Amino acid sequence: MAAARRLKRVAVSQPGFLTLNPKVGPTDLVSSRRKRVNKNKKKNWNKYSDVQDVEEFLEDVRHQERTTGGLLSEKSDDSLFFLDVGQPKKVEEKEAAEPVKGKKRKGKSSRPLRIDLILQHDSRVAPPKDVLAYQKPNAKKLRRAAERAEKLAAKGVVPRSKKRLLNRPVVDRTSKKTETEANNNPERDFYDIWGQETKDLGEPWYLQQTRKKLVKRPEKLNEKPSVLPAVEVIAPGGSYNPDFFSHQELLREAHEVEVKKKKVEDKIERQLAYNKEDTATEETILREQVEGLVEESEEEEEKEDAPKEDGEEVAVGAIAVADKKTERQRKREKAEKMKEQQRLAERRQTEQQQQLFQLRSIKTSIKQQEEKTQVRQKRRKAKEEAQKAQPRRLGKLKFQPQDMEVQLSDELAGSLRQLKPEGSVLMDRFKSLQKRNLIEPRERAKFKRRLKVKYVEKRAFKEIS
Amino acid sequence: MGGLQKKKFERGSATNYITRNRARKKLQLSLPDFRRLCILKGIYPHEPKHKKKVNKGSTAPRTFYLLKDIRFLLHEPIVGKFREYKIFVRKLKKAYGKTEWSAVERLRENKPTYKLDHIIKERYPTFIDALRDIDDALCMCFLFSTFARTGKCHVQTIQLCKRLTVEWMNYVITSRSLRKVFLSIKGIYYQAEVMGQLITWVVPYQFSHDHPVDVDYRVMATFTELYTTLLGFVNFRLYNSLNLVYPPKLDSNAESEPKEESEDDYAMNSESYLEKLSALSASLARVVSSAEEEEAQLDHFPTEGEDMEKMEAREKELKQQEAQKKLFEGLKFYLNREVPRESLAFIIRCFGGQVSWDKSVCIGSTYEMTDETITHHIIDRPSVDKQYINRYYIQPQWVYDCVNAKVLLPVEDYFLGVTLPPHLSPFVEEKEGDYVPPEKLKIMALQRGEKTGNEQEEEEEEEEEEEEEEEQEEEEEDDNGDEEDDEEEVAEEKNLKKMEEQRSQGKSLQVKVTPGKLKVENKARLEQEEKAEEKRLAIMMMKKKEKYLYDKIMFGKKRKVREANKLAAKRKAHDDAEKAKKKKARK
Repeated sequence: MAAARRLKRVAVSQPGFLTLNPKVGPTDLVSSRRKRVNKNKKKNWNKYSDVQDVEEFLEDVRHQERTTGGLLSEKSDDSLFFLDVGQPKKVEEKEAAEPVKGKKRKGKSSRPLRIDLILQHDSRVAPPKDVLAYQKPNAKKLRRAAERAEKLAAKGVVPRSKKRLLNRPVVDRTSKKTETEANNNPERDFYDIWGQETKDLGEPWYLQQTRKKLVKRPEKLNEKPSVLPAVEVIAPGGSYNPDFFSHQELLREAHEVEVKKKKVEDKIERQLAYNKEDTATEETILREQVEGLVEESEEEEEKEDAPKEDGEEVAVGAIAVADKKTERQRKREKAEKMKEQQRLAERRQTEQQQQLFQLRSIKTSIKQQEEKTQVRQKRRKAKEEAQKAQPRRLGKLKFQPQDMEVQLSDELAGSLRQLKPEGSVLMDRFKSLQKRNLIEPRERAKFKRRLKVKYVEKRAFKEIS
Repeated sequence: MGGLQKKKFERGSATNYITRNRARKKLQLSLPDFRRLCILKGIYPHEPKHKKKVNKGSTAPRTFYLLKDIRFLLHEPIVGKFREYKIFVRKLKKAYGKTEWSAVERLRENKPTYKLDHIIKERYPTFIDALRDIDDALCMCFLFSTFARTGKCHVQTIQLCKRLTVEWMNYVITSRSLRKVFLSIKGIYYQAEVMGQLITWVVPYQFSHDHPVDVDYRVMATFTELYTTLLGFVNFRLYNSLNLVYPPKLDSNAESEPKEESEDDYAMNSESYLEKLSALSASLARVVSSAEEEEAQLDHFPTEGEDMEKMEAREKELKQQEAQKKLFEGLKFYLNREVPRESLAFIIRCFGGQVSWDKSVCIGSTYEMTDETITHHIIDRPSVDKQYINRYYIQPQWVYDCVNAKVLLPVEDYFLGVTLPPHLSPFVEEKEGDYVPPEKLKIMALQRGEKTGNEQEEEEEEEEEEEEEEEQEEEEEDDNGDEEDDEEEVAEEKNLKKMEEQRSQGKSLQVKVTPGKLKVENKARLEQEEKAEEKRLAIMMMKKKEKYLYDKIMFGKKRKVREANKLAAKRKAHDDAEKAKKKKARK
């Protein structure tokens, strides 16, 4: 910069320098009278030294630089002037333009917008170079480090950071894919889950704290909630070609079940039954409607009588007034009480003494009682055992056993080919799960419509109907 | 009396239980998710003893869980997955709503999934535990594998179930562990003995589904999800125990190699592998090529007395089992197209038989119907046009009955068009004194190796009546065998008494010498008598209480016998009536 400025000054001081500002003539620079001022103060320097000319000159230089991109005096003649050769061949241009009249518009549109022109940079001075862009901090140090690394690399030594990168555990990209495999994928593979011991992934404390270690399953959870077997084989009568008696046996059982069901149904029907004679006939309806319209007077009289009787009855009730006890009475009562107590105590004592002679009978009675409790205990235990095989009440609904699978004698197939399977294994499995208390019996949720459905007859349909 | 007043329901059973809704809230799950979690983790609702106490005074029926169980659930990592899934669904819905298909795709790719492996390991700490609980898993998998690919459950689940059941059947075939089969009207019951555990499962008949509406499919699907995982791991272990390759591969160098021609017509290449496996006609590849299988010898220990008897019984049982395993060995079956192929192929292969079918029925048929070496042709139609002379044409029930009887039954009863004997349930175990149907008696006799004399007679139907009489006599003899002995004793005693009476009355006895008769002592009879005498004495020596009990037991037994006799008589009457009808019809 400084060099450039110096250059400018040198240029200005030369006699051939032209200024753009015509006002400032070289004669004005020298004034006739000079004011005397102390020049040993900086304040006066600024105040009284005349730098107008320099300022103007510099302004002019800047102006030139801005508009032309440099000092005019330094420009070559070719860049400042051109040779005037007269009118250019406008006619030819027009001829070329005419046939492509359609393209004229495009040319217009390709001209830059005015707004862009306004916003364009109008100074011709090149922007100053950013020094920092060319300077690197710590360049020397880095260069040295690079050199050293090169040297080491040539020797075959790997830097530590790189070594660490190389040594880090390999993340298996494919393992993620196996993780996203669905559980019911038919091609999934199995392995010996009971044979291998689980690999220790780390310290137990770490695993526990990071919740990676599975909690031990309580022993009690491995007990089955029912003693029933998983698969209950159908009775021998359920064979596709059964023995006569076992088939009859099964039929009888099924019959009993049906009878029970019928009984329940009948009971409900009986409870809902009413006397047929109590139903309303035309006559009774009419009588009800006419009720109160006929023979009004008699009823009114009766009504008048009724309240009178009630009033009398209320008045009859008398209050028994308790008399106060006298002192004597009290004393006597107390003495009697004492006496009674004494008598009872004596009696108890004699009884106890007498029990000594009743030891045998007491013993027998105790024995009897013990026997009774034993019997009861046994019964209770048996009941508990029986209960174990029963389905528990686990929710709102009770367990309902499925219908028995039975084929009547005429439904039985003569051969395996003609067999018509009865019941459904799916239902059987489902009920078995319920029976063994693995799931609670549930009802299918009823579908509730939130909004009312509006039926609209389509026009096409309407025409027909 | 000082102290703070005790608040109600703050201690005791009220604090041990938690209602379902509260548990659900504690876990921050929706009800279906909660239910799923409980099923997967094996946590079941519990009925409290005192409902009113637990329900804080209310008697409303509620579902209760033990609080400790729910606390245990809080640690389950799957709970987090359920929540993630919920969010996933929500995001997906949103993306759909905004029709952002790229977002939908991205979400789909990162769908949260979970594994049940750790739950299996936790619930079944040892392999035997898992095996004990495999019944349910098998039933469920067999059931789901028969489902049609409708919207009732996920197609992938059906495929997985199919694969697992086929693996299981192949294992049972290879290990020859099937014991019992029962054709019921509901489905086919199988029982196998795997590693000392009796495992029962039921398979529905093919194409018999009308989906019941009141079954909660979601619950069933959840159970299946758990059980497929369990069954997979069990299968792996079982295959390993037999040195089989898992996943199963067909043995490439087996003699009975399925023909390759028709494969392309039958299934796509990707599917044909599983289809071939499920045809059950070929054996599986082993890790170590199998040499001759060693026969397991029972260890002998020097024992005495009762143990000895038990040991002998066990040994006998084992021998019988070994014989049963080789029941169909050397037999060649051909299945006609109307018989249930899968079930029959499974059973026949389980007992060492060879089996084939028409190649248009299923993939994997090994020989044609025209093969001369076929011994049994299983057919289920009244008649057939062209019959080969060197094979039996039998109805399918023969196979099942043979398996249950553990011997090859006479084929005559099962020929074409013959009315079949009843198919008895092998799961019934008769106790002493129970009524046993005559068919079963016959089978039992066959098992003992006796040849019933009736067999030939049965063929000649004219002699039927005589035979019946014989039977009657036999039965009577059986019943009266003991009684006769008693009667003899009574007679002797009477004689003695008479003599004593006479002696006591002072009458001089008639003295007469008669030539002595040599009394032939029947040793066996003597021994029997001695035993009976001992028993009688023992009864006499009983205490009153014991005697009472003994009488009661004996009475019960006798009653049972009486009932059984009654049933037998009824049966006879029924049979007679049937025969009479038949005769009339013939005339």
